[in-house]
Amino acid sequence: MEFISEDGKTLDQQCSTLVLPALSIGNVGQLGVDLLISSTRAQRIGYLDDPNVLPCVGNDAYTPSLKPQLALSLEAYDSSSNSLTFVQQRSPVVKGMMLEYAKNLADFAAANGKKHVVVLSSLDFGRWQTIDMSSGLQIYYLSSANMDGTDDDCERLGWKRLQEYNPAQRRWKYLDDLAEGKMVQEDTSTFEDDMQDEDYLPSLPFAAMFSCFKAKGLKVTCLLCYCSEGDNMPDSFQLAEAASKLVGLRDTDIQGNEGGKWTIPFSWQSVYGPPADMSIF
Amino acid sequence: MEDVITDLPPPSRFFLDDLNNFAPPPTTLPSPFLVFSTPKPNKPLCPSLLIFALSSPSLNFLHHLPSKVLIGTLVLPEIPFSGISLEPSLTDKSCNIYSINNAGKMIIIVSVQYAVAAERTHAVAKMLIGKHIIPERVLILDSLQSRNFRGKLPPDETFALKLETSMERKLPEDDPEESQLLKSVGYFPSGSVVDGLAAALLSRCEMEKLKGTLSVSWPESGGSVTSLVRSLLLKDVLPGLELSIKSDDEDKYMRSGVLDLDIYT
Repeated sequence: MEFISEDGKTLDQQCSTLVLPALSIGNVGQLGVDLLISSTRAQRIGYLDDPNVLPCVGNDAYTPSLKPQLALSLEAYDSSSNSLTFVQQRSPVVKGMMLEYAKNLADFAAANGKKHVVVLSSLDFGRWQTIDMSSGLQIYYLSSANMDGTDDDCERLGWKRLQEYNPAQRRWKYLDDLAEGKMVQEDTSTFEDDMQDEDYLPSLPFAAMFSCFKAKGLKVTCLLCYCSEGDNMPDSFQLAEAASKLVGLRDTDIQGNEGGKWTIPFSWQSVYGPPADMSIF
Repeated sequence: MEDVITDLPPPSRFFLDDLNNFAPPPTTLPSPFLVFSTPKPNKPLCPSLLIFALSSPSLNFLHHLPSKVLIGTLVLPEIPFSGISLEPSLTDKSCNIYSINNAGKMIIIVSVQYAVAAERTHAVAKMLIGKHIIPERVLILDSLQSRNFRGKLPPDETFALKLETSMERKLPEDDPEESQLLKSVGYFPSGSVVDGLAAALLSRCEMEKLKGTLSVSWPESGGSVTSLVRSLLLKDVLPGLELSIKSDDEDKYMRSGVLDLDIYT
């Protein structure tokens, strides 16, 4: 993975917290990062060139312009006043290369002075094991602060640790070994055949990122919410709100539009396609 | 009508396997490589303009340019050579590289006549831009992909849209010496994306800080869009180019449809 800076710009080494999405159902992590970038007025600093991320291009995702700037598949933004770096990912990872990609990201974070990584992602409602109707829009987390995944800061904010996390479970263990570059003898071809319920979470992209950032000695916190495919904007607001609390953003650090707390990115106007053709009526 | 149950999800949604950390990686393939008709030059080629033809209309138009010279080809090891004709043909699964002289300046044209798998586009783009070919400017011509487009796509309209790199965007609009390409073409709307080889090429241009433009045309094929692409190229990109297309060839390329290259191998 190579970082290519925009002309005249460099990554702010004082931005010690990195916020980025892990691909997931509903693209909630990516939508959440979109909100944070647009609302903190983060500036694009450059691009990340990684052969494991499929290419895509588009026009400025955040603001309308007569001469819009090009958007690429993997971009880095700095919000220096908030000591935050964001990485936004707009396209999938090559199938089978998620761990490689996560390792590259971890190398990038470690090489650029990041101390804390916040990963935003989502989980499939269909896989929710313990339905707790009293918890409402509950945020779940997984932290490297303690061996069991707990974190006092997250507990204080009222979030629940991902109960299914078990670092001794075979696939979590396997991920950790791969992330640390240890020789592993287990035959992964059996993984496909006998995937059990407990194997689901460690198979997800956020788990690869969690293991790889942890292996680099960085503090990593994964923030997760359960959702289904559909209009996932409300989920993204929830996740962005949680992230803002964790990284210490004050209300004055976030600028909104359309009378709301957040600035809705310009590209969200068409996220679900064009409006229906009214001429048929 | 689309079957929402069994059809592929829109590209913004994932299959479970797409997100699986333990999915097997793709088979390792040999790297793509360039073969030139003259002995390998010591220095990279530095054309004033590098044109990539990916869409059916652009392939058709550029194929019929009489004054171009075949100088090389890009070999993708996974693409078989079987069925390729001795003389370049639109039905070949090939990626030929041509040079053409326009007003004393060298222009290189790359005709991409096969589909490049998504996971290979990064390597192909790196091979074609910035290593053996270092252009002053790049133009990529592709078709608009309806699956990635969030706006309306009327079936009876013909149009083109563009994306530009930062270096291209900075150019003045009305400087006669050097101004933006395709001034009459509107910008691609925010919220829609282009993927595949066209995206990889334009991304490479942005990262190499080159002047680059990607133009996508709609519909994918047909006389009207072929006419539009031809008009854009002659007016904005290759003004003054001597164009003599035999009348029967002209009829053929104006009526051309989507090239189904798979049926020819």
